[in-house]
Amino acid sequence: MTKLARTGAWPGILLAAGILLVCLVLALALGPAPLSVGRIWHLLLAGPVQGDLDNAIFWQIRMPRVLVASLVGAALAVAGVILQDLFLNPLTDPYVTGVSSGAALGATIGIVLHLSNLPWITVLAIVGGLGTLVIVWMAARRRGRIDIFVLLLAGVTISYLASALVTVLMIKANEDMTAIIYWLMGSFSGRGWPDVRVALVTIPFMVAPLFFTREMDILLQGEKRALELGVEVERTKRLLLVTAGVLTALAVSVSGIIAFVGLVVPHIVRLLIGPGHRGLLPVSLLAGASLMVLADLLSRTVISPNEIPVGVVTTFIGAPLFVYLLRRGRRV
Amino acid sequence: MAAPSHRPAPSTGGAPQAGPATPLVALKDVDFAYDERPVLRRISFSLEPGDFVGIVGPNGSGKSTLVDLIDGIHQPGAGEVLVKGVPTRRYRRKDMAREVALVPQHFDLDFDLAVREVVEMGAYCLGKDPAALSDPELTLARLGVADLASRRFSELSGGEKQLVVLAQALMQQAPLLLLDEPASALDVSHQLRLFDLLKELNADGLTVLCILHDLNLALHYFDKLLVLSDGEVAAFGPPDDVLRPEVVEAVYGVRAYLHRHAGRTYLTFSPRLRGERRGRVHLICGGGTGAGMMRELADAGYEVTAGVLNALDTDEETGRELGLEMIVEAPFSPVGDEAHVENLALLRSADLVVVSAVPVSHGNALNIAAAREALAAGIPVWADEGVRAGDFAGATDGLAAAGVQFFAGEEALLTAVRARSLPGSGRTTAVGAAAARVAAPPEDDSQPEGAAT
Repeated sequence: MTKLARTGAWPGILLAAGILLVCLVLALALGPAPLSVGRIWHLLLAGPVQGDLDNAIFWQIRMPRVLVASLVGAALAVAGVILQDLFLNPLTDPYVTGVSSGAALGATIGIVLHLSNLPWITVLAIVGGLGTLVIVWMAARRRGRIDIFVLLLAGVTISYLASALVTVLMIKANEDMTAIIYWLMGSFSGRGWPDVRVALVTIPFMVAPLFFTREMDILLQGEKRALELGVEVERTKRLLLVTAGVLTALAVSVSGIIAFVGLVVPHIVRLLIGPGHRGLLPVSLLAGASLMVLADLLSRTVISPNEIPVGVVTTFIGAPLFVYLLRRGRRV
Repeated sequence: MAAPSHRPAPSTGGAPQAGPATPLVALKDVDFAYDERPVLRRISFSLEPGDFVGIVGPNGSGKSTLVDLIDGIHQPGAGEVLVKGVPTRRYRRKDMAREVALVPQHFDLDFDLAVREVVEMGAYCLGKDPAALSDPELTLARLGVADLASRRFSELSGGEKQLVVLAQALMQQAPLLLLDEPASALDVSHQLRLFDLLKELNADGLTVLCILHDLNLALHYFDKLLVLSDGEVAAFGPPDDVLRPEVVEAVYGVRAYLHRHAGRTYLTFSPRLRGERRGRVHLICGGGTGAGMMRELADAGYEVTAGVLNALDTDEETGRELGLEMIVEAPFSPVGDEAHVENLALLRSADLVVVSAVPVSHGNALNIAAAREALAAGIPVWADEGVRAGDFAGATDGLAAAGVQFFAGEEALLTAVRARSLPGSGRTTAVGAAAARVAAPPEDDSQPEGAAT
C-alpha cells in the first residue's frame, strides 16, 4: 500500500514533463522566423555556429529566452507552493513576503543610476530582494521562533513601503519611467545567456524542497501538530522560507515582476493531483515552467512585432483556467 | 538505513540513561508561565509504565499546558520534566515522538488528503526503517475503522476524524499516549467506544494519560486521576479517593453529590450560590415526597434538616446523599417517642418548617404534631395542600386554623425558593408572607408586587 502511494506521483510528473517538452519545442519553433521541428533537432545537434542566421536565432535569441522563462516559471511555482503551505493561506504568492518589491526597488535604483543591466541591475535586484527577506525575518522572530503570521504582515507592509519608494524614484527620474514600468511588469525580451546563468542558480533551490516533502505534508496540519509528530518545525520553516525567498529574488531579478504564476499554478496542480507534496512540488515546478514558456510565446507572437507584457498573458491564461477548475469542483 | 529499531513495549526504549527503576514520566517541582502569566505551579508527579491516568480540572486550570510540557512542546520555567529519566529539552523532536504520542484537542485539515495519507504521517518519527514502519491500514483496523482508509479526511464526521487522529498517534509506536479531551466532540456512544479502546490499548501495554471533562467517565474508566486546580495538583490517586464531593466542590465551585446506582458510583452537580448563606428549613416528608424539595432547597443555599424519616425510605436515602441532618427511625416502624423528641429539638432551630404531600397515617402522625409544636413556638409552617388529601389519620384537621400556610404542590414551593423569598437569611417575615402568596396565587392574585418577581 505504501509503495502504491509512493509511486502515485509518477504518472503526473511524467505527464507534466511531456507537456513542458511540447511547450519548449513550440516556443523554440515559433516566432517571426518559424523553424520546423526537424530543423530544431538539427540545430540542437549542431550547436552554436557562426554565420548561420537560423542558428543565431535559435541559439542566441530563442534558446536563452525560453530557458530563462522556464526557469523563472518553475522557480515562482515552487516558491508559491512553499509559501502557500507554510502560511496555510491560499491567497499567498511569492510576492507577499516583500521580496519582489525589494527586488523591484533594487532594480529601480539601478535603472535610475543608469547602471548596466547585467550584472548591476540584476545584482541590485537580488540584494534588494534578499535584504527585504532579512528585514521581514527579523521582524517575525520572537524567542528563536519565526511567527508566520507576523512574517506575512511584515512582508505585506514592507511591500507597500518598497513600492512607495519605487514610485518616488519614478517621479524623480521621469526620463527612465518607461524602463522602470517595463521592468515592473515583467518581460523576457532580449534575455541572453548571462541571464540564463543567473536563472540556473535557482536549480539547487528548486531541488532542495523535494527532500522535505514529508515535512511539508505534515506541516499542513499546523506547526504544533508537526512538532508533536516529530518534525523540527523551526529548522524546516527556516530552510523553506530562505529557499522560497532566494527563488523569488532570483526570478524577479532576471524577469521583473510577473503576476499570477506563483499564485495560480500551485492551486491548479493541487486541484488536479491533490495536496501531497511528493507530487505537488515536482508537478508545480514543471507546470510553472510550461505556463511561463507558453505565456512568453504568446506575448511575443500575438501582436508581433509588438510584445504584450508577459504578466498580462499569464493572467489571461491562468485566471480562466483557475476559475474553470474551481467550478469543476475539488475532486478531479 | 539501519536506524535502531524501536518497539512499543514500555520496558525497552531508545532514550539513554533509562534504568529499570526510572518512571516513564516524572515532573519535579515544575513551574510554567506564558509570558508573565503563571499557568502551572509546583507540579510533581510521575507515571509508571502501564499507568492509565485521567486528568480533570476546570477550564484554564492548565491541563493542556501540562500535556504539552510532557511532550516537550514547552519547557518549564523551573523544575524538570523527565521522559524516561531524560529532560525533555535534551530530546530531538523525532526522538520525542518515538516516546510520546499526543492526540490534540483540536484537529482539522483544510487540505484534501486521503485518510491513509493522514494516518501515515504518524510514522514520520520512525524514519525510513521498513522494519519499524507501522501499517496505516492495520492501525485503522485496530480501532475498528479499516473502511475509512480510502476515504477523504475532509468528508469524515467529527467522531471518525477523532479516531483517525488517534490512529495517526498510534502510528508513532510510542510507549506513552497523551490525549487532550479526545471525547469533547463525541456523542455518548463514540465516547464509550473511545474509552473502551483506550482501555484495550492500555491492557496491551500502552501508558495512557488523558484529559477529560466528564467526571463520571473519569470515575469509571481510569485507574488514577490527577486533579488540577488553578495550576496546581489538587489530588492524585485512585478515582474514589480523589473525586470526593468535597474535593469537587473545592476545585470546581459547585455542589457535588455521590450516588450509588446499580453497583456504580455517580456524581451529580448543582450550582452553588456564592457566599450566600440562607436560612434553615426543616422538612416533614417521606416516601419520596420530599426528595425534590430537599435538593432544590440545599442547592439554593438553605440548610435543610428532615425528620422523622424511616431508614431506607427514598427521602431518607436522598437526604443521606445530600449529607443532611435528619432524625431517622428504624425501617418500616412508626415514629417512636424518642425520635419525636429529637425531631422537636431539631425543628426548633429551623426558620421554616415545610410539610410535603406525605401520606399521613398513625405511624407518622407524630410528625404533624411536631409541625403544630413549631407553630406554637412561632416558627412558620408551610404545608403542601396534598397532605390533607393523603391524611388517613385526621392529623391535619385544623392545621389552617392553627396558622399553617398551604401551597399548591411542590412546584409552587420551588417557585418561591427560586424567587429567593423563603423566611430566613435575614429577610423579614413579611417577605416570607409575600412569597407564600406567590406560592399560592389563586388566593391572592390581586397583589401586583407578589407577581413582580
